[in-house]
Amino acid sequence: MKLKKIAALLLATTMALSCAACGSSNEGSGNNSSSNANNSSNSSNANTSTAKVDLKNEKASLEMWCIATESDSNRKSYELAIEEMKKEYPDITLNWEAFENQSYKTKIKAAMAADEVPDIFFTWSCAFLGDFVESGKVYCLDDAYQDYKSELPEVMMGNSTYNGKHYGVPLTMNIVGLFANMDLLKEAGYNEVPTTYDDLIKCCDALKAKNIIPFGCAGSETWCVTEYLEPVIEKTIGADTMNDIFLGKTTWDNADVAKAVDTFQSMVKAGYFDPNAVSLTNDEVKNNFMQGKYAFYQNGTWNCADFANDADFFKKVKVTEFPVIDSGKAKLGQLIGGPSDTLAVAASSKNAAVAAKYTFELGKRICHYGYLDGCGLPAWTPYGDTSSVNGLTQDVSKICNAANAYVLFGDTAMNADDAQKYLDYVAQVYGCKVDGAGFISGLKSEIR
Amino acid sequence: MAEKNTLKTYDINQYEVQKTNKVLKVLIYIGLVIWALIDLFPIYWMFTFSLKNNEEVYGANVMGLPKNWLWSNYEKALTTGNMPQYFLNSVIVTVAAIAISLIAALMATYALTRIVWKGREMMNAFFMLGITIPIHSSIVPIFITLSKLKVINSYWSLIIPYSAFSLAMAILICTGFMNDIPKDLDEAAYIDGCTLWQTFIKIIVPLMKPALATISIYTFLQCWNELMFANVFISKKALKTLPVGIQALSGQHTTDWGPIGAALVIATFPTLIVYIFMSKSIQESFIAGAVKG
Amino acid sequence: MKKNKSKILMVVLFLLPALLLFIGVLIAPIIMSVFYSFYDMKSISLKGADFIWFGNYKELFTSGSISFWKALGNSMLLAFLSVFLQLPLSLGLALMLGKGIKGERGFLSVYFMPVLISTVVIGQLWRKIYNPDYGILNAVLGLLGIADKMPTGGWLGNEKSALWCVFVPTLWQYVGYHMLLMYAGVRSVSPELREAAKLDGATDAQVDWYVVIPSIKPILRVSVIFAVTGSLKSFDLIYVLTNGGPFHATEVPSTLMINMLFERNRYGMGSTIAVMMITLCFAFAILISAAFKERENYGRKKHTEDI
Repeated sequence: MKLKKIAALLLATTMALSCAACGSSNEGSGNNSSSNANNSSNSSNANTSTAKVDLKNEKASLEMWCIATESDSNRKSYELAIEEMKKEYPDITLNWEAFENQSYKTKIKAAMAADEVPDIFFTWSCAFLGDFVESGKVYCLDDAYQDYKSELPEVMMGNSTYNGKHYGVPLTMNIVGLFANMDLLKEAGYNEVPTTYDDLIKCCDALKAKNIIPFGCAGSETWCVTEYLEPVIEKTIGADTMNDIFLGKTTWDNADVAKAVDTFQSMVKAGYFDPNAVSLTNDEVKNNFMQGKYAFYQNGTWNCADFANDADFFKKVKVTEFPVIDSGKAKLGQLIGGPSDTLAVAASSKNAAVAAKYTFELGKRICHYGYLDGCGLPAWTPYGDTSSVNGLTQDVSKICNAANAYVLFGDTAMNADDAQKYLDYVAQVYGCKVDGAGFISGLKSEIR
Repeated sequence: MAEKNTLKTYDINQYEVQKTNKVLKVLIYIGLVIWALIDLFPIYWMFTFSLKNNEEVYGANVMGLPKNWLWSNYEKALTTGNMPQYFLNSVIVTVAAIAISLIAALMATYALTRIVWKGREMMNAFFMLGITIPIHSSIVPIFITLSKLKVINSYWSLIIPYSAFSLAMAILICTGFMNDIPKDLDEAAYIDGCTLWQTFIKIIVPLMKPALATISIYTFLQCWNELMFANVFISKKALKTLPVGIQALSGQHTTDWGPIGAALVIATFPTLIVYIFMSKSIQESFIAGAVKG
Repeated sequence: MKKNKSKILMVVLFLLPALLLFIGVLIAPIIMSVFYSFYDMKSISLKGADFIWFGNYKELFTSGSISFWKALGNSMLLAFLSVFLQLPLSLGLALMLGKGIKGERGFLSVYFMPVLISTVVIGQLWRKIYNPDYGILNAVLGLLGIADKMPTGGWLGNEKSALWCVFVPTLWQYVGYHMLLMYAGVRSVSPELREAAKLDGATDAQVDWYVVIPSIKPILRVSVIFAVTGSLKSFDLIYVLTNGGPFHATEVPSTLMINMLFERNRYGMGSTIAVMMITLCFAFAILISAAFKERENYGRKKHTEDI
């Protein structure tokens, strides 16, 4: 029963993701998007491939950096996975350090500059990893991947594939979800989350009339604003156009984008967003949502884990996707998201071949435990008993089941410089400093 | 005239006229007390919310003392945050930086003030440039250099830059103190047959003890706070310093005020307690730095 | 002659540790930064980087999206506020304390306390103080009967209030620092001088203005120098509080540089900003060393006529 569902999910995801592969945006695009699902039956083949590393016979000491700090929702899955690896491969010792998200970006980049990277490191896929790949700092995983083709669909590797070569092991995949506090919606007379845009606006007005703030969005972390703005754009212009813009195949000069930005801004101006949240962090806003301060919270589905851990709140919360705004261009099932959390191996590693194999084994387990915890959907084919996965995450997988297209998070899809310019403009939109026309003309001239 | 450079205060109270009129005195007291409250209140508040749960912080009891003293917040800060280790690391790095900058500054100052040679003024001006160079501006080159020296991820990767950036101030202070040591002393030693080095070790260094405290305070203020270098250069959890630890912990528990408060208190109170016991000598050494500089 | 040679050797020996540190950690990186600033470094290494002469500088000065001028203006404003708000406040406290008040030591100790607290702690503490929902600032304003004075977006989230809100913790921390310096000066003014002025019929304020302040000018100068260079170098507090936001309202060159280096991967541009910061600081260093030289010569004449 369960397995069937998951197989269906994976198939759907596979099809939908095929147009989201961004790693190959420069050259050879499209090659990696053709799913290698049929290759997966050749697992016996893989055992005979060259450069064989048997982890059981290896003795090594590896170092890993990640962002699974004590309070991170992924922490438990890392700990369980590493524990299991220790038992299975006692001769390989893993020394790992976890850093706070924001300072990690600084650290890993500085470390790259000085070739001080640990053997295995956490990275975001697409552009973030791409910069490192381009400067030759990342070990190619093609050989090691041969053994895992059956468990890790090729399409899930798309975001960490550059010029047809694989450089990253994906862990979980996440989408943007519209979370709703059903208790508050009921107060405003809604028993279900509105499914059309017009209804949603009416619902917001009803909430406001009851003195309930409809949305909470952390202004001090601009990526949180993109979690609101990107679905609005996608549901206005459609996934294909949006992918083309994000991947640089066409410019930002698109009147529909301007219209979408104006739509979003009209929601801000109508007072649907908590004005105080401009200076808050995402954790603070999320906490406010869980305290019942906002009716809606639109953010990544990794939040399911935290919501599920709060039994009281879990009863109230529902997840859906943002409704369609322009049904002529967009439709339901077009989502923002994809596999982004990734582990990669440093080219400077002395034990790169061992580390590569180890990373696949470790990634598989982190993905497994992360899925059980509700940290996201699995990039790997799930194994074992997964019936304990929380209901919210199961709802997310239902949404993904019905998905037909994905657009990767903008700041992950674009290179660092462009992403910062983009975020800068998104922040200005949220602060009502530029309107839709200013947004597209600004980005058109700034992004090369 | 020479007194002007030493710290000499007068006991004002023995002068009758100094006594100002009552009204003015009251006004002065009010002003002083208000600023003292402004200084103390945030520290008091930090202490109280370190012992509260979120319910109290979020409105039930914003300003008062905690209703039940939640020491478990401290347990959380100590275990997940590992604050004592961070504190110790900060102490090690700061003390070592003080020691190195002190030794280097003493030697350099000796050469700059006691030995006559062409270009010493130039050299002095050269060192003084260091006072204003912002430490952050050289983070990437220093990182690359240190990693080539293979000292990244060790105490040395912080001690070396910290002592280098404290050096200019240390030389400045040393110069002030050394100028106060009469020239006759080392001339006498020189005539007795001491070499420059012996004069330095036997005559100058013992007389420079007061400078030690002053330089320590200024170097402490510079090194104890530093965040960016410590964040980028240190990856091992066991070597992280206090600012990095605090920043990480706050990033992780943004909504859980109690443990953050506890971490802030743990980072602050030991220093403050030491200060309370030594406030007079700390203040005097601090003042000496400004007057000598 | 021989003696001269050994003297030079000794000079070199004595200077060696300081020079090694200084050149290795301060000077060499500056040269490297200047070198990097001429490149368009797309990645972290110089491999594949284009040599573009002053391209980065040109972009820095002309680009609207890199808000360099705004950042420069902000740090100048912070320096201005430090000199014209923080220092007078410190001076006022120092003068009041210098009058021989009971509990002088206690006040002094309390005022100096914030100086010893780590900047990161102060930043995190003030983040909580400014919190729009649960912060103590709103609670205190509520008690004073002027609640709802918070600007839209919150204290740190409003473009107009953010820079002030970043300045206030600096003020809070460093008033004690400057107060202590000035207090030392005030205390070293001879009471006879004050007494004489008072006998001539001067009021307290007049004594302070005409007698005390002129005689502590050297210390005031030190304070001004520290306040100005401190503002130009400020980083940690802003990084913790706002990281330059909202909309660059609190951006200063150092936060902009860190953003270029570690967010946008523009190492050449980051180095360019570093070079600009150092140049600016050097300009101030020249002013400072000129100011110090005056004092130093004065001291040297006194102590060391010649060897």
